[in-house]
Amino acid sequence: MPRVFITGLGFITSIGNDVATVVRNLRELRHGFEVYPPFQKPDIPCKVVGTVKDFATDSTDPEDWTFPARYRIKRELLRSMAPNGLFAHCAMLQAIDDAKLTDADISNPQTGLYAASGGSPFLTHYHHERLQKFGVMRCSPLGIVASIVGTLNFNLVAAFRIQGASCGFSSACASSAHGLGYAFDDLVLGRQKRMFVVGAEDGNLDAILPFAGMRTLSLQTDPNIASRPFDAARDGFVATGGGVVMVLETEDEVIRRGAKPHAEVIGWGQASDGYNVAISHPEGSGSAAAMTNALRSSHVAPGEVDYVNAHATSTLIGDVSEARALRAVFKEETKRVAVSSTKALTGHGLSLAGVMESAFCALALREGFIPGNAHLTKVDPECAGLNIPRTTENRQAEIVVKNSSGFGGANVAVVFKRAM
Amino acid sequence: MPDAVSTNSATTKPLPTTPKPFAPEDEAALREALKRCSPSTFEAAVQFRKTGNPEHVPAVVIGIIERFVEPDLRMKLKDADDDLRLIEDLGIDSLTMMEIVILVEDVLQMSINNDELRNLRMVGDVKTFIDCKIRGLPLPKPTRFIPIEHIGAVMPIQPPFLFLNEASVSSTAANGKYKISGQEFFLQGHFKDNPVMPASIMLEALGQLAVLYLLEGAPTEPGKVVSAQTIFFTGCEGVRAHRVCKPGDILTLSIKPKRMKMPLATFEGSIRVGSEKAVIAEEITLTYAFVDAANAPVPINGVAHNGDAINGKAQVASSPTPLRAAINS
Repeated sequence: MPRVFITGLGFITSIGNDVATVVRNLRELRHGFEVYPPFQKPDIPCKVVGTVKDFATDSTDPEDWTFPARYRIKRELLRSMAPNGLFAHCAMLQAIDDAKLTDADISNPQTGLYAASGGSPFLTHYHHERLQKFGVMRCSPLGIVASIVGTLNFNLVAAFRIQGASCGFSSACASSAHGLGYAFDDLVLGRQKRMFVVGAEDGNLDAILPFAGMRTLSLQTDPNIASRPFDAARDGFVATGGGVVMVLETEDEVIRRGAKPHAEVIGWGQASDGYNVAISHPEGSGSAAAMTNALRSSHVAPGEVDYVNAHATSTLIGDVSEARALRAVFKEETKRVAVSSTKALTGHGLSLAGVMESAFCALALREGFIPGNAHLTKVDPECAGLNIPRTTENRQAEIVVKNSSGFGGANVAVVFKRAM
Repeated sequence: MPDAVSTNSATTKPLPTTPKPFAPEDEAALREALKRCSPSTFEAAVQFRKTGNPEHVPAVVIGIIERFVEPDLRMKLKDADDDLRLIEDLGIDSLTMMEIVILVEDVLQMSINNDELRNLRMVGDVKTFIDCKIRGLPLPKPTRFIPIEHIGAVMPIQPPFLFLNEASVSSTAANGKYKISGQEFFLQGHFKDNPVMPASIMLEALGQLAVLYLLEGAPTEPGKVVSAQTIFFTGCEGVRAHRVCKPGDILTLSIKPKRMKMPLATFEGSIRVGSEKAVIAEEITLTYAFVDAANAPVPINGVAHNGDAINGKAQVASSPTPLRAAINS
């Protein structure tokens, strides 16, 4: 079975727009939250967002957007993008650079791309409003490909001339973890030699505010304590946008190109709660089954795992459910395995979360640290028994697990190993 | 194209001659719509909306096209050559064309049918098309590729004295090709043991292309067509031969109308071989006259004349009737 390595990463996130900044903020536990101006209205109960810095995408016209000068994007490409497409495009350029891929490495039938975003409610709203106001013939011909779920893969596959496998994944907050899992499978099965895994979200008012209707967002006004996974005083998640790209390659390609991998992906698993459309199973049954499946497929015993990057979003029910799942899987090892949620720093990236946090795991393995769980004052008694470091530990992990869960009770766990 | 005209007769009705009053909020909306266009584009649009004067339309249309062209290609548009091709020269794809149309519709307060767009290939096509719509004139004939069978069918000149192998004709120009085969009868004596295409025959070839333009591309009056029997040579000016042309050379011919006023049509013409200049004619003048479309003769072999070659699409509206008879009926 071919081995699969992570050879390139690109980040446009609330805690940094390049590898070095992301590593520093993960180590030093600096969050990316701000009071979000569009939320500062009396009828909007939530106030804080994990904001993407140095990008201005609040216009419905992509030609109004501003972004760092290092990214040059032609109008022809920009016109069909949603904000999440721009973030992902920039992260793609970084990841390609990081992996040192040539044009020929990117555009060939053996290189594919799996992507996940929630589409762009922001642009969907805008184009539908125009449709109703001015009639359909005055609508942009690119309104659909810029708005619907799938906008990420449409745009990136065309822009980067991807010729291998491509599709989008839609399992809400587990989407890009699913994308990573199936990309791994394609490489292991010999269908592809290289895969880009992409997650991105607009992270703006239209993307985030509907979650307030579900009462799942934190109502904290202080950015320093808004996102506190596993804390007794947590009151919901803080949302974020951005884009993250991961390059996966088979061992043969790594050797052929002389690439220096960040980490190895050694397996994954998934399972569903079969319980509720939006609420996690109280005992975390699906999450536990996903972790068990992932460990089995990776030939890893629970005792070998050093660190779990939790899904924990800082919601009341979800964090407890995952804590129970962790206890069920790790049993007597629970006290030893370090568990933290980096959503305390970034916020919850929805479709972006799985690949973003998997990329954090790769950086932790490469740099030899375990990120602490920020903003944790008093652990929720329901989450007792877990080893949740409050500060970053400077030690080298060998095996790391990443959990992701989405609506409908979809659960994914991915297992990473230090590259050797 | 017959289909573009016949299926959209409603779109050719003139716009109201007295424009709607142009309110300050209209100006603000116009400024917003044209915010990425040059100030002169905006000015021309304001003038058009205030006066309805079609003179301002080309500046608006070119300004809007320019806004959608990648910055490094915009220089090409500065020279405003009507032969500039939208796809090949300016990188405008069909989606960009749609964006251009939506903005033109918005700014000039007109509506353009999708079918009408298919045939716009060159900057000149777009300008002429919009101009016709504004003035309520019949829509222009688009650039069409004319195969040898059809050239033979419509031309009063026939082999062995026909010097066009293929041609394309638009309302603003005609282009053609002729390969010197070496079998031309006059090459036996021009010259002895040294076949060279006579310059007078090359001038004749340009004249023939101009005849084809009059028959297939030139604007006509409603219900009228140009009669092939009425076209004759009257004169030429500024003719210079730059290159000896021999069997095997492919002549690339092009003519453009300079003045059209019945009964005289004056063209400028040139012939190239590859990138080399072969012949220049500053002016070639022909006489011509109209006849009633109903009385026009049908081409001998009645090649289906429906633009399949360009559109790659079968058209229900096709009929054996020659285009120029059908177009204004």
